[in-house]
Order: sequence, then C-alpha cells, then structure tokens
Amino acid sequence: MGRVRREWRDQLSRYGAALALVAASTAAAEALYRLTATTRLSMVFLAGVLLAAFLLGSGPAYFAAAVAFLVYNFYLVEPRFTIELTTPEELLTLLVFLAVAMLTGNLTGRVRDEAARAQARARATTALFDATREFSASSDERLIRQRLAEHLAATAGGEGFVRDAGRLQMAPAGLRREDIPGGLPGAAEPAGGWTLRRLEVEGQALGTAGWRAPPDRRLSRDEHDLLELMCDAGAAAIARARLAAGKAEAEARARTEDLRNALLSSISHDLRTPLAAILASATSLREFGDSFDPGVRRDLAATIQEETERLDAVVANLLSMTRLQAGALAIQKAPFNVPEVVRRTVERRDRAHRRFTLTSITPRLPEGLGDPILFEQALGNVVENALRHTPEDTLVLVSTRLEDDRIVVEVCDRGPGVGEADLERIFDRFYRAGGARQTPGTGLGLSIARGLMEAMDGAIEARNDPAAGGLVVSLSLESAA
Amino acid sequence: MSSGRLLLVDDEPQIVRALLPALQAAGYAVEVAGTGEAALTCLAAEPCDAIILDLGLPDMDGKEVIARIREWSEAPILVLSARDLESEKIAALDAGADDFVNKPVGVGELLARLRASLRGRERRFASQAMFRSGDLAIDFARRRVTVQGEEVRLTPREYDLLRILARHAGRPVTHRQVIAAVWGAGAQVDAQFVRVLVAQLRQKLEAEPSAPRLLMTEPGLGYRLAAEDDPATPARS
Repeated sequence: MGRVRREWRDQLSRYGAALALVAASTAAAEALYRLTATTRLSMVFLAGVLLAAFLLGSGPAYFAAAVAFLVYNFYLVEPRFTIELTTPEELLTLLVFLAVAMLTGNLTGRVRDEAARAQARARATTALFDATREFSASSDERLIRQRLAEHLAATAGGEGFVRDAGRLQMAPAGLRREDIPGGLPGAAEPAGGWTLRRLEVEGQALGTAGWRAPPDRRLSRDEHDLLELMCDAGAAAIARARLAAGKAEAEARARTEDLRNALLSSISHDLRTPLAAILASATSLREFGDSFDPGVRRDLAATIQEETERLDAVVANLLSMTRLQAGALAIQKAPFNVPEVVRRTVERRDRAHRRFTLTSITPRLPEGLGDPILFEQALGNVVENALRHTPEDTLVLVSTRLEDDRIVVEVCDRGPGVGEADLERIFDRFYRAGGARQTPGTGLGLSIARGLMEAMDGAIEARNDPAAGGLVVSLSLESAA
Repeated sequence: MSSGRLLLVDDEPQIVRALLPALQAAGYAVEVAGTGEAALTCLAAEPCDAIILDLGLPDMDGKEVIARIREWSEAPILVLSARDLESEKIAALDAGADDFVNKPVGVGELLARLRASLRGRERRFASQAMFRSGDLAIDFARRRVTVQGEEVRLTPREYDLLRILARHAGRPVTHRQVIAAVWGAGAQVDAQFVRVLVAQLRQKLEAEPSAPRLLMTEPGLGYRLAAEDDPATPARS
C-alpha cells in the first residue's frame, strides 16, 4: 500500500503545481493591473491554465481552469473582491473564459499524454529491436538467457531472470523455487510482485522467464506486451541455439568416431608390422636356420633386433599419448646433457640407416632443463619422421646449439620439404602432409613430440630450409645455466 | 629345386627382408613389388605362379589390385594383411583372392597356405573326378559321397555345398560364395540358412559334429573344407 500512498502524493503534488501556476498568473495580473489599470486580463489566467495543461496533463489543467475562473471573478471582475456579477456581459465573459480554459487545457493535456505514449512506444520498439538483434547475433544459449534476463530487467525497470527448464537453480529474491512453474504456464498469482512466463517454442519447454518492477512503479499494458514479445524472441533464439548446438555436437561426435577409427587402424598397423617381421624372421631361423648362409642368419637376427626396438618405440609413444591425453604425464624437470641424449637417439637409428650427420655448433653447451627420457622420445619421433619421408640416399643433419638461453636441437633433412600451409598442421594428430600419405605411418609421432616438448616447457617448430629445400624441425629446451 | 615364380607385394621393407630368405629357401624364385602399380607391371612382364599381396598398399586399394590381376590372370593370390577387419578379408576373397593370412604369421604357416593355394589351382584346372580328404571321398562324376567307404545320402543343396567347399579345399569359401553356388548368384538368402545347411552336412559327414575336423568354420568369413594334407596350424583369425 506504499505504492498507493506514493501515487497519491504524486497526484497531489501535480495539483499543487497547478495551484501554484494559477497563483503566479494572479501575481502577474496584479502587476499588469497596477501598470495599466486595465481589468481585461483574462488572457494572463488563460496562459497559466495552458501552461498547467502542457506541463502537468489534463486533470491538473481542469483544476487550474476552475481555480483561475474563481480567482479571476473575485479579483478582477467588477465589482472587485466579490464573486457577484453585475452585468450579463461580465457573466458571458466569465463563461467564455471558463470554456476556453477547459478546452485548451483538455487539448494541450491530450497532446502531452499522446506525446508521452508515443515516446514510450518508441522506447519499447527500440528495446525490442536491440534485444532481438542481440539474440540473433549469438548462438550461445547461456548468453541468450543472460541477455534476455537483462533486457527484461531493463524494460521492467527492476529485476528479471530466466531459468532453464528442468534444471534446479537458485530462485531469485522474493520468489520461492516452487513458485516457478516447471510445466505449467505462469498464470498462478505470482509471489513477491513477480510476473512469470513460460518460454516455449512449438510446445517445447525452454524454461521460465520472470520480471518485476520496482515497488513504486506499475507496468503499463504496453510494457507488459513488450515484455511478452521479448520473451517470445528470446525463446525463439534459445530454440535456434539449441538446434545449432545439437548439430555441432553430432558433427563433433562423428569426427571423434573417425579419429578413433583412424587411431585404432594405425595402432594395429604400427604394432603388427614389427611383430610380423619379428615372427617371420624368428620362424625362418627355426625352420631354415641350418640351410641359411651366416649372412642371412645375421640379417634376420638384425631384423628381429631393429623391429623389437621399433615396437618398443611404438609402445612408448602409445603410453605417452595416453598420458598426455589424460594430463597424467608427471614431468620431472632436471638438468641433463642434451648432446649426449641426441647422440644416443641418433646412433640407435644409424645402425640401420647410416644417414646421419651430427654437429654441435656451440662448444661447452650448458645443460638443458627437462626430462631426458621424454626428450629422447620426442627427438626420436622427429628423427623417424625425417628418415621416413625423405629419399634413402639423402642425409639427415642433427645439430645442437645455444640460442637466447635456450638449447636448440635442429633436425634438417634434404627431402622435398612441406607446403607452407602444412607447416603448423604436421603437429596435429593424424595429420599427414601431402606426399606423406603414401608412406606408412600414423601421423601421431610429431603430435606426440609436440605434446612432450610442451609438457617440459620446451617448444617444437617446423620450417622449410630455403637454401637446401628440406624440412627443419627444431626442438628447444630451457637452459639450466 | 624350383617351386615356381612368386610375386611378393608389400610396401614394408622389414617384412620383405624377413620373408625373403624363407621363401627362397622353400625353392621359390621371388620377385618383390612395393606398390600395386609395380606389382601389375611385374606380372605383365612375366607371369607368376602365385602372388602374396599385402592389402595396405600406398598407391591403391588391395581389393583393386586383386580385381585388376583377376582381369587376366588366374594365379593364386594369398592376401597378407595386418588388418583384422572381417569385411576387408571377405571383400578380398570375393574379389578373387584365394586365401588370406593375418600378420603376424609364421613362415611355416605361410608356406603351407601357399602350397594349398597352388594345389587348389591345379585341382581346379585338372577337373579331377575324385576328391579325398581323410575319411571323406567324393565322386563328382557319379555324385557319390562316401565316409569310410560307406555311402552318405545328401540332399541336392547339401551336395552343392560340399562340392563348392571341395573345389576350394584347404581355402576359405565366403558366405556369399556358398550362397551363389547353392542358391544361385544374386539370391537373397540369410546367412542363417547357410549355417543350418552346414550343420546338416556336418551331421552326415563328421564323426563328431560338434567338433568338426572336415568342415571348419572361418569365423565371420565362411567355411573351409580340410584338404588332404591341410596345414597343421588352423587359420588364425
């Protein structure tokens, strides 16, 4: 009932202002009477009534007209200071005055009211336009809900909220959770001055919206319509966002499925190929060992050794990949001798290939900070990649140097290089650049190398060698010095 | 001694390196091709007695290689593949491959399968009137089937099934090949009917139908009739 009292006070002050305007007119008339000694000053009062109508609306204008009529009669019409009328002309003048005052007051008041309504409508249209534009610009359901709540609050001049359907959430102040309709439209008498509305599109419940104006304000019919329209626009935007999200999710699922299949088939290939070579070599030695030349026997034994080492590397990569994905790779960073690890990594592969050239550019290199085992694995993947994708009669250069307090190991091959667009993507999982699709491999090695290097706060990059044309992959680690 | 000319098609150098000595020791003159294109070129230059083919070739799909070889060559094709997808093997067999072995495989089994495939070809072209495997004997000319010398009465469908299996003795026959031979090419027959027919045939031929020694199942693929001197090791799948 505070609101009623406030409204009364509001009205009262407007009538008081009308009274003040009439008083001001009286004062002006008195001043003019003293200057000109004329009593034909009805125009001054008329001006006061007009002003009241313009500033305060039609009700106060009528009131001002009536008061002005009495004051004019009492104060200026002969005999002065009485409300008696002596001539019919004077009565006529007074009646005409009253009629003119009423009419102008009414007209001006209506113009004023109309202007106010037009302004409110324009504001409403702008608000709705802004809201709709914001909704359609976003495909994030959460953001749309938040924006809708903000717009409802702004339009109601108070508070607003939007609640997801079927999800428990804190109820806004003054509203119990059970008051918020889950399935039922918010027709029930709302608590705490809230108006509730169900958000739905084609029968699909999308949640509940609510708003309330401040206690001293009453929402007009137009404002209610606007709020409802906003809810409809918001509901449509939410439905659209959900549709888009559902589609994106289905696409992501399909992509994950593709990735999983690619992973399984490449793991199967990477594990079975060395196994096949080992089993074939071992069974050959058992069945035909006696009839083979010593050279053939040594060759088969070498195959068993190399393929076992390769298998070991594949298993290590699989373990690292699983750990990297699970975020469970515990890194023990410690200073270690980088050139030593580089030599070990390369020498193991050089037994089979004899294609490496090792150089250390910076003498007395400080130790690198990282995990030597993981670094060896990362470098091994890079080196394998270089061996696999370049012609067999070309060299692979591995160099180590100090650069801006970081230890950099570069693996340069003399192969065809990689297209500029592919330079970043070769580190993506399963990505295999153009020509690489014809060589066996999973497309996992470089991505694991990057994961390992980043886990050690190191870095790995690829670039093409402009002079020799091959690919340069550089791995860098913090220096311990 | 020479067992014939063999084409080994595999793009993994370590596999070639591991298989080559045993194949040569078994008496084969081995040609090696790393791609499907190279294999076709090599075959065109000089015919081979048998082909060992890896399905995962870099330049073309293994099934396509089989189809293109089959356009003009009847040489037995033994598919060697790390893929354990049943559908791949079935597609390879339907495309015209004679048999398959999964990687990894011991050279003993590989050589036995190779011999079986080579013999199967001889049998097919020699159009033998008689087939023997263990206690089983089939007289194709008189449509007479005997087990341990005693005649077994077969329905026409059972006989058709036995005949297609005997023609491919020692090698797998896919469900689709069985259906084409028994019900006619293009017939829409559920694999369940094949299973029922096989069970009936086992009842009549096998000493212990629940533990078959003649009519073996190739899981997911089809069936295989044991050849007279079948590889000691059963098919790995």
